[in-house]
Amino acid sequence: MQLLLTGVLFMAFVMVISKRVSALIHGFRAQSFFLFLTALYIAMLNNNAEIYIVAGLLFAIKVVAIPYILSRIVRRIKVEEGAGLFINPTLSVFIAVLLTYLSYLFTGRVMPDAGRSQSAAVIISLSVTLIGLFLMMSRMKAVSQIIGLLVMENGLFLIAMASAGGMPFFVEIAVFFDIFVCVVILGMFVYRINKLFTHINVSKLQELKG
Amino acid sequence: MGYFINNTAFLSFDPLSVFFLAVIGLVSFPSAIYSIGYLKDHYSPQKIALGWALFIAFVLSMALVVTVKNAFLFLIAWELMSLVSYFLVVFDTEHEKSIKAGAIYIVMTHIGTAFIIAAILIMFKYAHSFDFPALKEACLAMPPGIKNLIFILFLIGFGTKAGIVPLHIWLPYAHPQAPSHISSLMSGVMIKTAIYGIIRFVIMILGVGSLWWGSAILVIASISCLVGVIYALMEHDIKRLLAYHSVENIGIILLGVGASMVFMKLNMPIPAVFAMIAGLYHLINHALFKGLLFLGAGSVYKATGKRNMEKMGGLIKAMPWTAATFLVGAMAISALPPLNGFVSEWLTLQAFFMGLAGGTIGVKIFMGALAGVLALTGGLAAACFVKAFGITFLAMPRSKNAAEAKESPFSMKFAMVFLAALTIIFGLAAAPIIKILTGVSGSALAIDTANINFTLNNFIITPQGAGNIYLSPLIAGMALIFIGAATAATLYFALGKSKVVINKTWDCGYYKLNSRNEYTATAFSKPFRIAFDFFLLPYRKTEKIWDSFYHTKSFTYEVYTTPVFKQYIYEPALRAILKIANKMKKIQSGSMHLYIFYIFITILTLIIFMDRF
Repeated sequence: MQLLLTGVLFMAFVMVISKRVSALIHGFRAQSFFLFLTALYIAMLNNNAEIYIVAGLLFAIKVVAIPYILSRIVRRIKVEEGAGLFINPTLSVFIAVLLTYLSYLFTGRVMPDAGRSQSAAVIISLSVTLIGLFLMMSRMKAVSQIIGLLVMENGLFLIAMASAGGMPFFVEIAVFFDIFVCVVILGMFVYRINKLFTHINVSKLQELKG
Repeated sequence: MGYFINNTAFLSFDPLSVFFLAVIGLVSFPSAIYSIGYLKDHYSPQKIALGWALFIAFVLSMALVVTVKNAFLFLIAWELMSLVSYFLVVFDTEHEKSIKAGAIYIVMTHIGTAFIIAAILIMFKYAHSFDFPALKEACLAMPPGIKNLIFILFLIGFGTKAGIVPLHIWLPYAHPQAPSHISSLMSGVMIKTAIYGIIRFVIMILGVGSLWWGSAILVIASISCLVGVIYALMEHDIKRLLAYHSVENIGIILLGVGASMVFMKLNMPIPAVFAMIAGLYHLINHALFKGLLFLGAGSVYKATGKRNMEKMGGLIKAMPWTAATFLVGAMAISALPPLNGFVSEWLTLQAFFMGLAGGTIGVKIFMGALAGVLALTGGLAAACFVKAFGITFLAMPRSKNAAEAKESPFSMKFAMVFLAALTIIFGLAAAPIIKILTGVSGSALAIDTANINFTLNNFIITPQGAGNIYLSPLIAGMALIFIGAATAATLYFALGKSKVVINKTWDCGYYKLNSRNEYTATAFSKPFRIAFDFFLLPYRKTEKIWDSFYHTKSFTYEVYTTPVFKQYIYEPALRAILKIANKMKKIQSGSMHLYIFYIFITILTLIIFMDRF
């Protein structure tokens, strides 16, 4: 369990240092895969059919479908590979470590008498959420904003899984479909933005303000 | 939802609520009838349907405001009332003025609501519930500093809605701009819901904390009285004139309420009940006669298409019903016996005299001064309505529209006659009404009024707060009729039957008097402009075009008064806000990354400083 969680966190760090969009997508796929293993592990532990289904959906959507769609978009719009970093990888990792430490402090304060493995899960999911937000903030390309959002969602999924054994089944299913539809729509937007402005560099969209 | 409403019965019908429901009913019934005639031919059928829907929503929301017994629901009803009335103010969407008036109104009313929300949330922090009884209980244990803060917040919040000076700025814009039956509802009833709020939240729930609360209300109220009536005197738009009189009358009502709070704190329960009666009585009276006057003004507006009094004149011949009912309203608002305005202003004066007799030296001087202010207000109001009635209805028509005016249809006449009749009844039947109001104000002040019985029929208000007080409007009215008849008879017998000769006014042999020679509203108000020039700061613009050295071809004369509050309070405030807004604009760069960065920083701050919140 702890190993799998570490994998999730590790992949978040990998995404922070990756400079290319395709690397980001691979990182997200790997992180989702670790998440899938975690869900599977919890399902086996509780022998719960619903969590099996959730894990299956996780695999189908986050490990297979979304990375496939994203990489197809990237190929279709033929932008140059760089993700466009505002903050260089070294500093990014440093900030990510700080965020992890912050969530460690926060968890200690919120749930001081939680068990070791549970608090570890909460710390990791919180830091993954924060790192996702950080990714959205510090990368220029629109695709990396989508991935940042998905990473945040991964963190939220983990926190629900770890602290409460998952959200209610139907909510979980609904969230998966939301995420899927969201990625499709955002992908369309990126495609349109590229067509209109011949780039997907979000930092250049400032003229849109009123 | 269960968190906000702890039991299913969320409406209360205690005497205060029932009293306000009665006021709403008494004014909205004739307004509804009036609107049948008023809206016809003026608007398209769709617009009329919309008008009715908004009218009903408006009345219902006001009824909800005065009956709910949960602060959260109160806020919802309050906001509903504000929004619906906003849509009614901008009902004539084709006029640019309406849009501007609506904008001023909605900004001011939301500022007021913000203060009310702040006050209620502070109370909630202590009570952990929004229900009135729970709030009341929590207020008992509140530190006095917090209580003072809540009082100020409520005073500003409700004061904005009531239109007390200097928060009255929206009232002369918004009230006249709505269709007339709505103006009568807004001026007659809606601003009274603010008085309800003050009585309910400050007196009943919060409890009067210290003496200065009542004194503050009294000072603000007396300023509102004077400022309202002085501005009304300067105003030539008949509906704006009436709107300024609403400011004045809200002041008179608050004089009663404030005096009641002062007496409560001075441990004088009987004068407290009495002053509250005076305030509530004036509240219902103002609803009646101001409703009537706005309906009359609307009737004139429909007939002439104008609101400027200088363009009217001579309407008494064309519109006798409107003129007669308007005259009744004008006499009532000028506090002439035996009409209702007289009774309630007289009661307010008596309340001050009770303070004169009972209090310490400071209270005596204060109350005496207030009585003087009230008397001055009454006099100025009378002058103002001599102008309003005389210029509008008497003499010769000053414009073509006024000359061609026709009397209003039956539904409008019925509504005006109905309110005029009520105005007279509320003047003559003062004794039983005071008996009813005793119970209402007793329950508002939590004083047992079973043993207090203010009777007027035997000339004496018992129990006597201070000496004997004499009044019987019925007898006063009869005395007036008797004296009038006696004077007429004496004159008749002394001078014999007079012959009626109809001839032209003597005009020094000029033989060409027309409506341009008439006394204008501007001219009529000149003495007051001079008397109050320290406050009104009048200035004029004249322009002469000379034909030759001896003869002017044309001469234009325009006189203005400086809008003191707008110029010295609101415009600097607005400028400051715009300046800050321009500075704030810099953080809106349009960069999405920056916006995400703001969110990121906010979340981190919340995580780090979680303990502090």
